[in-house]
Amino acid sequence: MIYALLSVHEKAEKLNLLLSTIKGISQTDLMAVSYKEIAAVVSCQKETDIIADKNKVLEYAGVIDQLAQHFTLLPMRYGSSMESNEAILVMLKINYTEIHQNLLKVENKNEFGLKIFCDTQKLHTQIRAESEINSSLNNGLEDQPANSVFKDYVNKKLREHRLEELMISYVDALIAEISIYLDQFHAFYKFKKMTTSNNIIDAVFLLDKEKQTELVSAIETLQHRYPDLNVVLTGPWSPFNFVEITIK
Amino acid sequence: MSENKILFNTAGSLDTISADIGNLANLEDSKLKLTPDNADSGLAKLVLTLVELIRKLVEKQAMRRVDGGSLTEDEIERLGETLMKLEMKMEELKKHFNLTDRDLNINLGPLGDLM
Repeated sequence: MIYALLSVHEKAEKLNLLLSTIKGISQTDLMAVSYKEIAAVVSCQKETDIIADKNKVLEYAGVIDQLAQHFTLLPMRYGSSMESNEAILVMLKINYTEIHQNLLKVENKNEFGLKIFCDTQKLHTQIRAESEINSSLNNGLEDQPANSVFKDYVNKKLREHRLEELMISYVDALIAEISIYLDQFHAFYKFKKMTTSNNIIDAVFLLDKEKQTELVSAIETLQHRYPDLNVVLTGPWSPFNFVEITIK
Repeated sequence: MSENKILFNTAGSLDTISADIGNLANLEDSKLKLTPDNADSGLAKLVLTLVELIRKLVEKQAMRRVDGGSLTEDEIERLGETLMKLEMKMEELKKHFNLTDRDLNINLGPLGDLM
């Protein structure tokens, strides 16, 4: 099983020392398979040991987390495995350039996660109230019911549609505001919006480790501006979402 | 997620956001569980999910056209009748197979909810 690909430079001994102090999943020993200045941290597992369950995945993530405190690394997906150390060495050789480039990209950087939750009903009410002021929700719709049940139905659906569009605009504006902060930190970022009805933003950022305090401060400012939202910043994480490599 | 990984949270503790995080992580209710014993209802859920997705896409596109002002009053009237009948038929089918709106909103993991 492969846990991560590391940039070792001249720290091979430090890596071996570290690996002697931590255990892989199911208490297996960890070892390094090295090629030039990169190394794969691996453990020898039975196939049945690899079957995912919550505890094993947490153990796996724990190993990556400990390694990330000392080395720049590319975390591998849970369950990544090859039949032998020789095969891993061949994989490192074939993919050396891509692995090296990705390691350079994430060097001295951490990933952070941002989730923004809302009370959907409350936010709808707020958006509805604001839209009534500028009349975008009811534009062209009569206050009185139409003389047709079908026309009333369309009007009802149209109001729902406009509310949804306004909601998307609201989230887009929020994303634009966060992006301005992130650009100041020269961060890489990925946003997903409206993943569930109350999780309106689910984002990940990759930025310099020393920018963490500034990031927290920026998020605090954001929270003050939007007191009705629940903003949750997590990290530092290994760069799970910013590795762009297809292992050959 | 361990408490020490939370760098900022208004409420200040993991407990207060656990319900929200739990909703993201708890995909059990929205999974398609096809087994030999429930093949009929499992398949019905799958098919109705797809039908509902298409119905909502049609409705959304129709509302865009209504909002764009390109339809006549008569066309809006007929559109309303069609959409209303589609919704009613869908409600009938959901009732028949004992399914709710939540059952038809499959969670696609990292991509979020289907609808």
